Amino acid sequence: MNMKKKVTSIVAPVVTFLLIFAIWEFACWFYKIDAWFLPKPSEIFRSMIVDFGEYWPHLLVTLQCVLTGFLIAIPVGLLLATLITSFPLLNAAMSPYITFLVTTPLVSLIPLLMLMMGYGMNMRITTVVIQSFAVINMNACTGFNNVPTLRRELMQSMGASRLQTYRMMILPSAATDIITGLRLAAIFATTTCISVEYNAGNTGLGSQIIKYSQYLQTTKSFACIFYVTVIGLIMYGLITLLQKKIVSWEE
Amino acid sequence: MQNKVFSVKNIAKSFGSEKEHNYIEVIRDISMDIDEKEFIVILGNSGCGKSTFLKILGGIDSATKGSMELYGKNIGRQIPRNALKHFGFVFQSNNLLPWRTAEGNLRFNLNTMKLKGPEWEKRIDEMLDIVGLLDYKKVYPHELSGGMKQRVGIARALVHDPDILILDQPLGALDAITRKMLSYEILNIWKKTQKTIIMVTNNVDEAILLANRIFVFSNKPAVITHEIRVDIPVEQRNHEIANNQRFNELREQINEIVRATL
Repeated sequence: MNMKKKVTSIVAPVVTFLLIFAIWEFACWFYKIDAWFLPKPSEIFRSMIVDFGEYWPHLLVTLQCVLTGFLIAIPVGLLLATLITSFPLLNAAMSPYITFLVTTPLVSLIPLLMLMMGYGMNMRITTVVIQSFAVINMNACTGFNNVPTLRRELMQSMGASRLQTYRMMILPSAATDIITGLRLAAIFATTTCISVEYNAGNTGLGSQIIKYSQYLQTTKSFACIFYVTVIGLIMYGLITLLQKKIVSWEE
Repeated sequence: MQNKVFSVKNIAKSFGSEKEHNYIEVIRDISMDIDEKEFIVILGNSGCGKSTFLKILGGIDSATKGSMELYGKNIGRQIPRNALKHFGFVFQSNNLLPWRTAEGNLRFNLNTMKLKGPEWEKRIDEMLDIVGLLDYKKVYPHELSGGMKQRVGIARALVHDPDILILDQPLGALDAITRKMLSYEILNIWKKTQKTIIMVTNNVDEAILLANRIFVFSNKPAVITHEIRVDIPVEQRNHEIANNQRFNELREQINEIVRATL
């Protein structure tokens, strides 16, 4: 029964995948759609492999930007959330601005950041960090604030120190919320990175998508988009792995 | 005749202030002396302040007036952090940590109190054995029944070898059958571990079964209205206790008192 369920959960999405691309392929062939308008998926996959040498450096740049930005955003977001929730005054002073940060599409800052920091990696990573730390921070704050009073009382009854309370009780209690934040931040990081690359410089998958579109090389444009998806999947996979490791008790 | 372990002198607790019109006096004046190996039960209606009283005893809260004495030493209005190892607290709703197994929850207390070493590891097993859950030591709380969780909660409160066990309505969240079973189990734990126990309940039968002294609290603000010594020998406290003549006398007497306080 369980085995059957497992097989179904793997086979079903694969079948869906094949079906969608089969319909796409068939439609392109049947209606004789031009490749510059909508290329056949088989052509896109072929280009992903054959022209890999062309995409590889850009894939690396994007991956580096997303990962670095994301990895910086995690400690920044968590640290800030810890500080904010530990001191009521800070909480009152900061919480509206954290919400601003989350709700403002920070991609709107890209032109200004370009002005200040140029087109390089620093500017890209900064944008990714700004956009993704806020959502990590917000979710972590929620987690920290929602720790049950009863668990705080447990820590008090044992005479636990502040640090012990934080490390042994508050952090694990908030783990689920923190991971939700990380998941969102991963999406934000990828989106932001591509947006920056659309606007700045000529490296990174984003810049290539723009370039190929302008040359009507839609197939290559699609190949880059699919590689962005791969990056997204890598991030998603990493977080799921982390979640399995950290909140394994939940289920 | 026996050693005084812990005493409470004129403890009072209030919240808010009169200026802001939110002043609530929860406990007015509570004093009691507790001897070694005593089983004290506090009876009172819900909302009478007995849980607040226990929180003060458990070091979770501080009193606004009065003082406490541990082994004859004045410790003031709040149990100091270094004295908390003398106390073990059992919460009404088990309050286990869901990310730790049964033994992990016990180890949590030891870790927090920085008690390490093979002798403490052994004690984890001993305590789980006392509550009859040694086979479940690798099991997470969500896989345990309500009664089992509460038993782990009791084992956790005992694991650091406290002198005084504090139970805040430990059976309150359980169904009637489990409640009855577990009340006998608490009696056994008391016999086996020889701890001083302070327990809060609102169930008269439970109180007589377990206590050697019962304190009845008035409604808010709480004062002690009666102190009843339960003179039923420990050997006679078993499943047949309901047929015991003294049990029924006491039960009638206490029920009368409780009715009067309502």
